[in-house]
Amino acid sequence: MEEKVLTKNFELKNYYKIDVYLKEKGYEAVRKAFEKMKPEQILEEVKKANLRGRGGAGFPAGVKWGFVPQEVPKPKYLCVNADEGEPGTFKDRYIMSHNPHLLIEGIIITSFCVGIHKAFIYIRGEYEAVAQRLEQAIFEAYEKGFLGKNILNTGFDLDVFVHRGAGSYICGEETALLESLEGKRGHPRLKPPFPASIGLFQCPTVINNVETLSNIPVIILKGAKWFCKKGLPKDGGTRVFGVSGMVKKPGIYELPVGTSLRDIIFKHAGGMKAGKKLKAVIPGGMSAPILRADEIDIKMDFDTLVNANSMLGSAAIIVIDEDTPIIDVLKAVAKFYSHESCGQCTPCRIGTSWINKIVKRLVERKGEKADIDSIQRLANNILGKTLCPLGDAAAMPISSITEKFRGELESYIAG
Amino acid sequence: MVKIFIDDKPVKVKEGMTILSAAEQEGIPIPHLCFHPAFASEGSCRMCLVEIEGLPKLELACSTQVREGMKIWTQSERVTEARRGVLEFLLAEHPLDCPICDKAGECKLQDYYEEYGHFESQFREFKEKRDKKVKIGESLILDRERCILCTRCVRFLREITKTQELGMFNRGLRSEISLYDGELINNNYSGNLAEICPVGAITDADFRFKIRSWFLNKGHSICPLCSRGCNISIEYHPGFPRIPRKKRVYRVISRENPEVNGHWICDLGRYEYSYLDENRLENLLLNNNGKEVRLDWERALQLMVPRIKKLYHLKKTSRIALILHSWLTNEELFLISKIFKDDLKLEKIFVVDPPQGEGDGFLLTSERCPNRRGAQEIGFDFKAADLEEIANKTDILIIFGHNLLDHFSLGEIKAALDRIETKLLFTSRGNGLSSLVDVVLPTALIAEKGGSLTNVEGKVQSFLPALEPVGESRPEWQVLVNLAKKLKVSFSYYRPFTSPAAIFQELEKEIPFFKQKND
Repeated sequence: MEEKVLTKNFELKNYYKIDVYLKEKGYEAVRKAFEKMKPEQILEEVKKANLRGRGGAGFPAGVKWGFVPQEVPKPKYLCVNADEGEPGTFKDRYIMSHNPHLLIEGIIITSFCVGIHKAFIYIRGEYEAVAQRLEQAIFEAYEKGFLGKNILNTGFDLDVFVHRGAGSYICGEETALLESLEGKRGHPRLKPPFPASIGLFQCPTVINNVETLSNIPVIILKGAKWFCKKGLPKDGGTRVFGVSGMVKKPGIYELPVGTSLRDIIFKHAGGMKAGKKLKAVIPGGMSAPILRADEIDIKMDFDTLVNANSMLGSAAIIVIDEDTPIIDVLKAVAKFYSHESCGQCTPCRIGTSWINKIVKRLVERKGEKADIDSIQRLANNILGKTLCPLGDAAAMPISSITEKFRGELESYIAG
Repeated sequence: MVKIFIDDKPVKVKEGMTILSAAEQEGIPIPHLCFHPAFASEGSCRMCLVEIEGLPKLELACSTQVREGMKIWTQSERVTEARRGVLEFLLAEHPLDCPICDKAGECKLQDYYEEYGHFESQFREFKEKRDKKVKIGESLILDRERCILCTRCVRFLREITKTQELGMFNRGLRSEISLYDGELINNNYSGNLAEICPVGAITDADFRFKIRSWFLNKGHSICPLCSRGCNISIEYHPGFPRIPRKKRVYRVISRENPEVNGHWICDLGRYEYSYLDENRLENLLLNNNGKEVRLDWERALQLMVPRIKKLYHLKKTSRIALILHSWLTNEELFLISKIFKDDLKLEKIFVVDPPQGEGDGFLLTSERCPNRRGAQEIGFDFKAADLEEIANKTDILIIFGHNLLDHFSLGEIKAALDRIETKLLFTSRGNGLSSLVDVVLPTALIAEKGGSLTNVEGKVQSFLPALEPVGESRPEWQVLVNLAKKLKVSFSYYRPFTSPAAIFQELEKEIPFFKQKND
């Protein structure tokens, strides 16, 4: 059995309580970071580990931290992106409710490395129970001296706050998250400037996903080389794959980066539910272009999937069977993005709803083949032209579904 | 300075400029809707996308700064396709209101479709239905179906007036502009919203359904309602030949001047233009024992001149009193100073202006006349008008303007004026003083003459006539030059004054303050 990092001890009762966590050698990474390492060394190690962001974009965390200007006389902030809005994704929820102290360790080490004294965990409002778990864990960490003033007598201060979202997918986009945290409408900002220089309250800000930060402690304890060996040289470590859909054992599976998609579905998740045949797989959260059943012999890492015209994204694998009409998938996708568009920029605001209106007509069998061409043309007009990646996140799956499953859609329309 | 290439043309521009302003400088237009030079870049309309060599995606011209060696294309296939795409999106959910929309003829969507569109609509769905006549201000109407959510209005109220009455509500296609707390927009700059709205979403109730924008001529002028001297554009109908037309002016809008009013004008200057067309005096009138007799300018001067000259030769010009106001131009005040102070050596000269109002801390000043500073620099003092002093031992009284009525009652004025033998009134409109004087002479307004004004900060601004004087009215400077020539006190001095510019040349020479670069 592969050694687990993020999902370690999930079956252990009360592992989310700090006393149990400490008994299982918890907070050793924090101690090692403070006692044996300097911030520059931590940064080097994280860079060498090639830890790619696990929120969806896959940007190397060490590189992102390196962009923060050190000499600027402004406070620096850390925002933990716990919005987990990407449909199909539920890994962060488990990490936060079963292993919150691992995340807290990651936050502490990151803050120590970059020079941050205030961290905000932006958690989606729907995760109320998880937020309370998190708050309890933070409280325990304060009590034991791992947070607050003069952590472990090092003179380093750090405060962590939990902030709940209010039901908006776009607030998972890093700049919209900052706007929401500042109390404004969740409208993404223009980049440049990037949050690393102008972020929360105009101060340098690091924003990382929950799973990304939860990998920091193991990088400190076991080193970058170990981390890369665990995964791939350019894409180190493990991923917590979330498998949902028509499989026997839906759930989270922590596996090395580069594991085959076929293995994940058929070996680990138990294969298709009784009597179901595989039709399609969405490999990285709903924003990822869809893969046909014959395209699943593919390694699950960022670069391989990009080469296959899809993306690893949040590693949320949605398994679609032959009995699910593809029009239902298209309907869900179109409805979601038109509902979640923030409305700021023209192509996304109008385009996603236009596509949704056409799809609704197709569902009612009031459409024609030319409408599929329209949908593809509109998706193309959205792609690359929007203010933030939501436009791309809408255009890519819609494009891929209408392209790869055109035949099925046409026969549905024809009735 | 950096060297960049726009459409293969090498240009030198200031470092830190955006592509949009650099292109504009070079006369290359890049379409844009949400960008406005008064605010920071918003980047939400996506209309200004351009192609930059070396970058995979199209970038925004309004927010991307130029860098040495940057190669930009504004007409490439990708760019035209992107523009058409954005236009298609905007027009898909836009109502077909052109036939009833006031913005037609000056609408950015129309202009850009004409330039970059020319496609047939492929939208087969139902457009969103929204409220179309929402009153958001005393003179402002919001049509939510036409709104393209450029948020210029929201940003104007947030950054310029800092009153933040409007905000964006809801999400996605349901997004709409609305008032916070249901309070109407209530500030002195609300009219600018209808101007900055690129489409017909926010329209002015004052202009609603009155006339099509393409029937209007534009005349440039300076607003005379306070001493800020905001640059304005008076939009008027030039009239049809042989069909008399009383109403000329349909609206007053702002003209950009970074040194005076920026991009804005206040609501007072925007909406109080009725004085240009209403109640105008068109004829010279002589009050002959209760009867009104029409005169012409020759006859009027023939009446005035001998009486003044008689007192001048008797060295009794102390028996002439003069009332001025600060709506006169620099040139006119200079002429008055030359004729009445220097030549005729008058002592009783009073400046009577409209009463002060409240300044609003931005453009509107408390002084409600445009040239008080000019009058100051030319050497007039502002001692309070005293009716006793005016009437006592006075044979001739010349009044410019009707502002006496703002400071004294009609009865008081009548009592004073009845003691004076000859009274002349120069005014542009009918008013209570007309029946109290002997001769009423119609004058042109600031919008109808050329000249210059000095604003509260001492900036001299010259202007040309935007409209024609009505009826027999004439600019005061013309009348004064004629008067001076007829008085023959120093004829040759006034002979070259054939235009306001000629007068200003002399003014500049004699009073160094006016030797500034004026526009």
